[in-house]
Amino acid sequence: MDEVLQQVAKLITEVVGPDFLLGVEITRDTTFSDDLGLESIEFVALADKLNAHYGVDLVAFLADMDIDEIMAMSVGRLVDHITARV
Amino acid sequence: MSRFLFVVPPLTGHVNPTASVGGELLARGHDVAWVGHPGTLTPLLPDGAVIFPAIDDRLEAEIREKRERWLSLRGMAVLKFFWEEFLIPLGHAMVPGVTDAVRVFAPDVVVADQQALAGPVVARSAGLPWVTSASTSAELVNPLATMPKVDAWVRGLLHGFAGGDVRFSDRLVLLYSSKALVGREFGEEVAFVGPALSHRVERVAFPWERLTGRRRVLVSLGTLNGPAGERFFGQVLEAVADLDLQVIVVAPERPAPDNVLMLPSVPQLALMPHLDAVVTHGGHNTVCEALAHGLPLVVAPIRDDQPTVAGQVVAAGAGVRLTYSRAKAADIRSAVLSVLDEPEYAAAAGVVRDSFLAAGGAAAAADRLEKVVAG
Repeated sequence: MDEVLQQVAKLITEVVGPDFLLGVEITRDTTFSDDLGLESIEFVALADKLNAHYGVDLVAFLADMDIDEIMAMSVGRLVDHITARV
Repeated sequence: MSRFLFVVPPLTGHVNPTASVGGELLARGHDVAWVGHPGTLTPLLPDGAVIFPAIDDRLEAEIREKRERWLSLRGMAVLKFFWEEFLIPLGHAMVPGVTDAVRVFAPDVVVADQQALAGPVVARSAGLPWVTSASTSAELVNPLATMPKVDAWVRGLLHGFAGGDVRFSDRLVLLYSSKALVGREFGEEVAFVGPALSHRVERVAFPWERLTGRRRVLVSLGTLNGPAGERFFGQVLEAVADLDLQVIVVAPERPAPDNVLMLPSVPQLALMPHLDAVVTHGGHNTVCEALAHGLPLVVAPIRDDQPTVAGQVVAAGAGVRLTYSRAKAADIRSAVLSVLDEPEYAAAAGVVRDSFLAAGGAAAAADRLEKVVAG
């Protein structure tokens, strides 16, 4: 498994809590909206962790997207963004 | 004396503040009418209120069915559905009825709820002044500011329907909150009038004799939907089962611990003076009704304006926020005990209550509306 993907999956698990991911494996295709159902406060927490770990600004990343792109936003797309930046 | 027409969607939380402000205007001798869905309006308005139809029962049933589907969505899909499938079609559907109401009632001012987009469109083409009834403060704060493309998409839909952003009047926006709660100011046209609670009509009965001497908590979560709602609800019942409290839960009857009084609906406003705390998903009306009584809150926001409202409660120090889809019984129990036992929460809620009293409520709203007529 890709190192960045592994780390992002770990950060998401920290935010959401391991209990809620039982049986759900975080892959590149996992979407933030539909699959993870990330709540707004969790989203802010994840943004903080990504910033601390990679210096990546999640809010700025999303600012460039339209509504359909945000709806389809996957873990893989975030991983690619981080990989390109780091 | 002047004539005021309220344009409202078929949603209780949006009708309630207009019932109060309209009641105040009626008490001052003005002529007042409402246009919307008569079946939703009649139970919430004073006896003999003048009601014009803009939504028939079939459309209202369709809207309710859509809402069920909408409640099962998550993330940004909620916003897309809200605008494309609800707000814009509702605007189109209400135009003919609102047009008739304006022609027959001949108002001096149209007061449009921020989700009744037909109001501004019809008022403008009739050459009438229109003002906004903002049933939540969240939209004014513009939670989409960090997502400019999504914000532009919303504005595009509004331009397509109305030729402009008609969510807010540049003449007057009645905001049923206070600076102390919202935490910021807006333009001069935005009037912080506090929650409008006077003249409200509650026709639901309540078994007052079943209230016990223990401390009382109201749990009001709106419509429970899907597995996430069932999960949270189950955790709430587990959380309160062993506590020395009486818990009044608004939900359809189901098995519950002995200290839980479960009722399908309650006269929420009348109940407030008998409570010590409120657990809610963060609907603007419920939150402000609780704060108007100085009650601390536990807020588990689900969607829409609720995360913004929950943030305001926490920033004011008047409550604790929980994560709706993940909070467990232990988290809920500890949140409820915190707001009940730690006096800072009730003290902060008291500060908000005082700001609401100073804002003036329905009387302040009526003053501002009279000024619009005076020009």
